[in-house]
Amino acid sequence: MDPETEFLSSKRQTGNEWELFKENVRPLKRGRNVDLLNHALKARTNDQLKKSLLENRRRLIEAIDEYQGDDPLQPWLDCIKWVQEAFPPGGDFSGLVLIYEQCVRAFWHSDHYKDDLRYLKVWLEYAEHCSDAEVIYCFLDANDIGKTHSAYYIAYALHMESKSKMKAANDILNLGISSNAQPIEKLRDAYKKFLARSMRRPNATEEELKEDDLPVRSFGTVLARGESQRQAIKTFELGRNKLKQDQVHRTPLSIYNDTNMDVTRGHHSKPNTGSNSWHTLGGRAERNKENNAMPAKWTSHKIPQRPVPRIVGAVASAQIEVFVDEECEEKPKVHDEKDRTSSLQLRELDGRNIKKETELLRENPLRNFPSNSLPR
Amino acid sequence: MASRTVAKDIITLRGSAAIVSEFFGYAANSILYNRGVYPEESFAKVKKYGLPMLLTQDEGVKSFITNLTAQLSEWLEAGKLQRVVMVIMSKATKAVLERWNFSIETDSDVVEKGVSREKSDREIMREIQAIMRQIASSITYLPCLDEPCVFDVLAYTDTDVPVPFTWIESDPKLIANPQMVKLHSFDTKIHKVDTLVSYKNDEWDEQ
Repeated sequence: MDPETEFLSSKRQTGNEWELFKENVRPLKRGRNVDLLNHALKARTNDQLKKSLLENRRRLIEAIDEYQGDDPLQPWLDCIKWVQEAFPPGGDFSGLVLIYEQCVRAFWHSDHYKDDLRYLKVWLEYAEHCSDAEVIYCFLDANDIGKTHSAYYIAYALHMESKSKMKAANDILNLGISSNAQPIEKLRDAYKKFLARSMRRPNATEEELKEDDLPVRSFGTVLARGESQRQAIKTFELGRNKLKQDQVHRTPLSIYNDTNMDVTRGHHSKPNTGSNSWHTLGGRAERNKENNAMPAKWTSHKIPQRPVPRIVGAVASAQIEVFVDEECEEKPKVHDEKDRTSSLQLRELDGRNIKKETELLRENPLRNFPSNSLPR
Repeated sequence: MASRTVAKDIITLRGSAAIVSEFFGYAANSILYNRGVYPEESFAKVKKYGLPMLLTQDEGVKSFITNLTAQLSEWLEAGKLQRVVMVIMSKATKAVLERWNFSIETDSDVVEKGVSREKSDREIMREIQAIMRQIASSITYLPCLDEPCVFDVLAYTDTDVPVPFTWIESDPKLIANPQMVKLHSFDTKIHKVDTLVSYKNDEWDEQ
């Protein structure tokens, strides 16, 4: 019996958490295992499951350290895939960006993985999370990583296209084709699509119009614009809808500053006493007081400091920050300083530090790399 | 205690066959749209099942689906259709990437004795609506189809059914070691349709 018939006749049901919480799930290009997804979604409200997830993560990180075989990338991939499945929304608290960064940094100098497609894919996923991935593509170029694969050229060209650098994108795709990157058909096809898109562009400098070319459905199917995962709103509207790009995750929003606004500093005088405040709208300064008040110290309310367990030791550059829930916090593990070339140390941190570190990496993805490895 | 009687409608074999084959037509269109098999501009919006449904305007695909649903309807009326599978394949390599499997259980009493059943049309529509919503939401877990794809439709019938002129015998086009997700079902009380989508296992590790 084929697996599908078997499944149907067994009358098994698939949980429907995936559908109930679909807004909290970030689609993955490689797809997701629905059972793992449902499990992870259930874990958000179930402490038992949460504990088991954390246990799993600990195990996977240990596996990276303890691996003895000749493919040290594999345990990293297992860990990455697991984090992707266990934290469906992804996001700054999942530590995903940190793990990508650790992984690529562990092997960037290794000849063994220069042409490994799996290793390249980690780099490409890392690039998707950064506000400006161009520095990553330059790095890959300078260090000859992944250049035998079409995926490299396609991702790089898409990124340049998203910055309206059409000539650069064109050159990159052509370079890939002439280098006979594999699979070549995919590259040729991507080039054809690129040409079609660039024909449709009326003006290369008009950022806005470019967005209109993107299909509404590219929520993990047809990916353009740097193959970024979009939190697009699923709509059946026809026509050219702008995709709401998940701006928070990539380029920080620039906030409009109206310098002409009458900014009143300090405390505001009370509204006219006697008059019923609902009948008068009040002056503009009063209406805008939430936006204009200068931030002051919270003197009236004290927030108890949460003790953060820390291992005070050598702050090596290669460290994995592990997100630990308050309920599951344990005593800090003290690792003896083993003589390891990749010197991985587990440091238990709370979610805030993961978020901070993730933000720093997004802005400057190569910040932990030795300066002699960076492209000039 | 007050009880609410839901008005039930009479469902005949022919009526049920029409409902199921129509469902399949809309489901096929929805899959083609949501999975990006054809460009979104080639679809038009219509209202059906209380949802905005997309239908292809491509003449070739349109007539293919129309002929398909007509044939399915015939088989359904004869009670001979067991399963319909929509297969999505890579255009370049013909590798099977995704399968949308609709399996059908027919009430043989109805086929043999020509009786009819009762069920609220509204309820059937709600059940179908739930499936359509799930099809659209399946991008939550389905792998990205980042290459041009083509589709095909396989029908599993009783063995005594002759192969129609425009169809050919085929191998099942299975996916090896698939991930499988069961979606909702709907039931007209004459035909019960189960939906399953299967897709290739994660390929991150492949070189």
